[in-house]
Amino acid sequence: MEQEVYAPQQNTFTCVLCGLSTPFTYFGQKPPNTRAIVLLEECFVTRDPFSPDKERFLVLGSKCSLCGSCACVGSDCSLFYTTRFCMRCVNKNLEQFPAAIQSEVAKKPTSKPAVP
Amino acid sequence: MDSDKRRDSRGSWDWDNPQCRAQLDEIFFRQHDYIQAGSPEHKDFWAFFDRFQRFRTKKDMHGLGHSKSSETGEGKEGKLDLGLPKEYDARYRINVSVCTGDVEERLGRSDHRHRSSGVGKEQIADCRLAYLHFLDFRQRQSFGKLAKLRRDQKNLPIYQYRDRIVDLVRQHPVVVVAGDTGCGKSTQVPQYLLSSGFSQIACTQPRRIACISLAKRVSFESLNQYGSKVGYQIRFETTRTEATKLSFLTEGLLLRQIQQDPSLAQYQVLIVDEVHERHLHCDFLLGVLRSLLSCRPDLRLILMSATINIKLFSNYFASAPVLQVPGRLFPIQVIYQPIPPEEQASRLEKLDPRPYLRVLQGIDQRYPSEERGDLLLFLSGVAEISTIQEACQVYATHTQRWIVLPLHSTLSLVQQDKVFDISPPGVRKCIISTNIAETSVTIDGVRFVVDSGKVKEMSFDPKAKMQRLQEFWISRASAEQRKGRAGRTGPGVCYRLYAESDYDAFAPYPVPEIHRVALDSLVLQMKSMGLGDPRSFVFIDPPPASSIQTAVTYLREQGALDSRGELTSIGSLLAQLPVDVVIGKMLVLGSVFNVVEPVLTVAAALSVQSPFLRSAQHNPDCATARQPLLSNQGDPFTLLNTFNAWVEVKGERGGGSRKWCRRRGLEEQRLYEMVNLRRQFKELLKSHGLLESAAPPAAGERGQRRERLTERRKLHQLKREHDLTEGSRRKVLRLGVDAEGGSDSGSDAEDAGKRSKDKNRPGQSTDIQEVKFKLRHNVSELQEAALASQDLSSRQQSILKLVLCRGLYPQLALPDEHNSTRKDSEQVFHTRNKHSVVIHPTSVFASDPEVLQVPEDEVRELGAERKGPESSRHQLLSFVTLLETNKPYLSNCVRVPALQALLLVANSVDSNADCSRLVVDGWLELELREPDGALKVLSSALSLRADWERLLLARLGQSLGQGQGASGAGGVSRKEMDKLSEGLVRFLLYTEVSYSLRRLTAFQTQNLYVGPQPESEPIKNPLFPGVEAKPDPIKGGLRVTTFFTYNCLADSRDLYSECLRTFWTCPNCELYMPFTPLERMQHEATCRPPGEVQDTEAAAESSMTTSSLSAPSLTRLYHCDVCDEDLTLTSTEILKHKRQHMASLK
Ligand SMILES: [Zn+2]
Ligand SMILES: [Zn+2]
Repeated sequence: MEQEVYAPQQNTFTCVLCGLSTPFTYFGQKPPNTRAIVLLEECFVTRDPFSPDKERFLVLGSKCSLCGSCACVGSDCSLFYTTRFCMRCVNKNLEQFPAAIQSEVAKKPTSKPAVP
Repeated sequence: MDSDKRRDSRGSWDWDNPQCRAQLDEIFFRQHDYIQAGSPEHKDFWAFFDRFQRFRTKKDMHGLGHSKSSETGEGKEGKLDLGLPKEYDARYRINVSVCTGDVEERLGRSDHRHRSSGVGKEQIADCRLAYLHFLDFRQRQSFGKLAKLRRDQKNLPIYQYRDRIVDLVRQHPVVVVAGDTGCGKSTQVPQYLLSSGFSQIACTQPRRIACISLAKRVSFESLNQYGSKVGYQIRFETTRTEATKLSFLTEGLLLRQIQQDPSLAQYQVLIVDEVHERHLHCDFLLGVLRSLLSCRPDLRLILMSATINIKLFSNYFASAPVLQVPGRLFPIQVIYQPIPPEEQASRLEKLDPRPYLRVLQGIDQRYPSEERGDLLLFLSGVAEISTIQEACQVYATHTQRWIVLPLHSTLSLVQQDKVFDISPPGVRKCIISTNIAETSVTIDGVRFVVDSGKVKEMSFDPKAKMQRLQEFWISRASAEQRKGRAGRTGPGVCYRLYAESDYDAFAPYPVPEIHRVALDSLVLQMKSMGLGDPRSFVFIDPPPASSIQTAVTYLREQGALDSRGELTSIGSLLAQLPVDVVIGKMLVLGSVFNVVEPVLTVAAALSVQSPFLRSAQHNPDCATARQPLLSNQGDPFTLLNTFNAWVEVKGERGGGSRKWCRRRGLEEQRLYEMVNLRRQFKELLKSHGLLESAAPPAAGERGQRRERLTERRKLHQLKREHDLTEGSRRKVLRLGVDAEGGSDSGSDAEDAGKRSKDKNRPGQSTDIQEVKFKLRHNVSELQEAALASQDLSSRQQSILKLVLCRGLYPQLALPDEHNSTRKDSEQVFHTRNKHSVVIHPTSVFASDPEVLQVPEDEVRELGAERKGPESSRHQLLSFVTLLETNKPYLSNCVRVPALQALLLVANSVDSNADCSRLVVDGWLELELREPDGALKVLSSALSLRADWERLLLARLGQSLGQGQGASGAGGVSRKEMDKLSEGLVRFLLYTEVSYSLRRLTAFQTQNLYVGPQPESEPIKNPLFPGVEAKPDPIKGGLRVTTFFTYNCLADSRDLYSECLRTFWTCPNCELYMPFTPLERMQHEATCRPPGEVQDTEAAAESSMTTSSLSAPSLTRLYHCDVCDEDLTLTSTEILKHKRQHMASLK
């Protein structure tokens, strides 16, 4: 199942919801040097620039399991609940999510403006 | 549901049991796992684990653990079933899993053992869950930072112009981007260009520190995606590699690169930032780039500036397009509060603090203390700052509402750093600063600005050859810049302590540096870049022709330019060294002798700010601790001692050096700068073939090397950790403690001690400087070098002094003849161009001036009182800087023996007929009591200088001709050099002639020379054939060497007068004859002891082929009129030959 795409060239991940755009170095479920750790979805990954350790990974986002659009992991743009949902799809199917999530979504200011 | 059981079991197992944790570590955090046991992250995990378990327990107790099955099942007809689990579990929100199947399986087999110590399935599951949450937490944390970073970038005013900028750069060779502080141009423009496909970008900065911080910032903002692709290059330090696409560098360095590579082929895009600051290098760089553009049509040039005088730059580059970006400034209210006449200080008085105090009071009255906002007060200089600081401190102590902090470049870095700390609630910072806070240092949170309207600026007085620090009114541009500092984080207020009419009368812009400073280095660089006559170069704002002329004259005096204004060989080497001319000269001279190590240290020490903190000078403890470091030979020797002692401490105690420095009132940062600089100087000399490369390490040391490698890896890790946390923690200032800090009472040292006990202080855990130091330098190697220059023998010391003195020449000062009758604090000195200067209080000679005086018992009063005392112990001061502030001060002085130093370094030595009277450089007069001794001294000086010059040129010829391949001292034998230095030492230390030394009066200098001799006395067939002696067209007399003119002084007698001849026996060849002084010198210069002859001849011959020298050749063609024959003879032989004829005539 592993689909490793090493990308030394400029591969850029862009969130369709908030427009966050940043280069990624790997796409898949098993970023390099993660040993026993496996991702439960195929993710856009980069090296964590905020960690002193060079080998830490950082998940930028992934594709919505329903609509397939790229969404960042920011809580305004997507959520993970056994699989990835972009906030548009979450809002469309809100009633199927557990109450805890429903109330969480309700607290958020309604969808933010997309790409500037 | 078995939540009860769960809770029980969770409660029952002991989270803190180390054994238990160790076993869990074996499962999750093994040696090769993502997180390893023992790493900082591992520690973080267990801390997280504790919190997590406590949280879960609490949740369970409140029954909040699991929401009841959701109502999701209902009312979803016709809709897609997402198939989500019915029961909510936070676990489902984590997109990570940890596979430890293999380990657990192994564990299962030995289940018993684990059960007994408490680790079972339950515990493993708990730990796994916590681990997943930990990973998720970390991801969120980092992603949050990333998102914030991107948000901030988008919020910058310049973001809107992103595409416009890229388009303009694509279409035009030159683009001007003008934007005020805070618009983000320096960090963003390079990134916009990078991400739109430009590469090989260089961005220049006026300050080194900005290069480093910008490279860090841009590399960080681009998530290190470019890794090594963003770097910086500053003097002697580079992070640039093959892969570098963007590098930040200083203007000076880019100029150096143009020197090496005139088409600058290595770059595609050049960004010149802060062009409005009009630094010397920047103005020059713009001129060079302007002409470079014509031969590099593909090159893109972007000028970035504040919104000041933009037209000037655009016009200079054929009306280049301008993109103006609004800054992000909040509205600022300007209040003019001119200082009433009765409170205005006259030039000599202290500043009256009342106008400043009124502003503080006004703020306290008008603005409630819970409204935050600090005050930034601009004054002209350090003395002004301490006056106002003192007064404000009294007010602050009284009101408990202010913390007063000074800010200027001579403060210790710890002190400077304080201005970034946060004040406690209800208290404001009052930062009293020089113009350093106008552009170089940016402090957030400032709401009030007080502008005195004054600035102290360095200017160069070409007549006195002196730097001068003078107070001026600022320009309107500076006033606006200062005002702007109040509106960075919110609306602000700017109090101007001058009238609006004053403001209107200010100059629009500051005077560009090129109009204020000495242009020596600039002219030297222009010469070496082949830019032709500096006077015709198209500067954006040409300097006055007189400044250029002064520089040319100075460079000629320094031997960097010849009489036609062309580069000499030493000049072209100096032009390649990125240091001051005098420092460069020292390095080159030092490499010829065996004093390289100490010269490297001294050169580095003189190129950085002094490590001795001024404020610690009056602290008796510091003074005592410093005592052993002081050298009464001179300040450079004190610096040398200090550096060596520090290196020793570094070697023995490593991190303990910080404390060592603190006790002595030393700024360790300066020592770090010195050690870096020193290393770079060394590399520079090596790359120019002036220093042998060290032998590669022996193979047997492999183990040691590996050890060092492991250590380096650890250090690198420490450095990375530091880089990430740097600047993120700011300390909260305390009333009382911090408020008093930095007063000039010498409390710095104690204060720093107090503060460093504070655990919150960043850098307390890791001394990052120590880490960098260890990464960069081989301590044992340094120690060796320190040892080599620690106990200098008196011989080495005198050679070192000579090297310094020749490097610094013509910067010499003469002690006033009446100094012995004056108080220590009133000692006066004279330079050639400036009378009555004093020694700066930081100099060793300020506290110990006696060593400069002629010892009492040495003095032999001559009958003629006006000549002053006679002695063989007169001394001069060789100095690095002459700076006028309230008085003209000499600093960094070395004492040198007067007669010897002058004869060995001066450009002009004139004598009378018997050489008993000498005038040096037209201002110093020496009278030697015994003509015989005088002759001897003079003639040995002549031959030493000839040898020195010859060896130096040979050495330089080697380095310039062969460059890197040159293996050390190939052409010049070590033996010759040793002989020369032996000779110099003997001359310096053991010359025992008595003489008087004084400064000529203005009247005397007018009638100094005999002047050109009339034609009626043609000098046909000069008596001294070996010497290219020609009559001097101005002074008269005979020009014997480039620096020595014989018999030109007005009291000189007839050149041919036989009465000048006296009988003399040559100690070498035992020739006994009547000689004139000049004949005798000539003979001495060529006649060597029998054993030496061959050596010298061979050397002289080889030197003849390489360069034309002032040194006399040994043989020449001589036509004897009596024999009517052409003879090849040495001058002595010619002399003998002529005597023969004379004798036969009788
Ligand atoms: Zn997003
Ligand atoms: Zn979707």
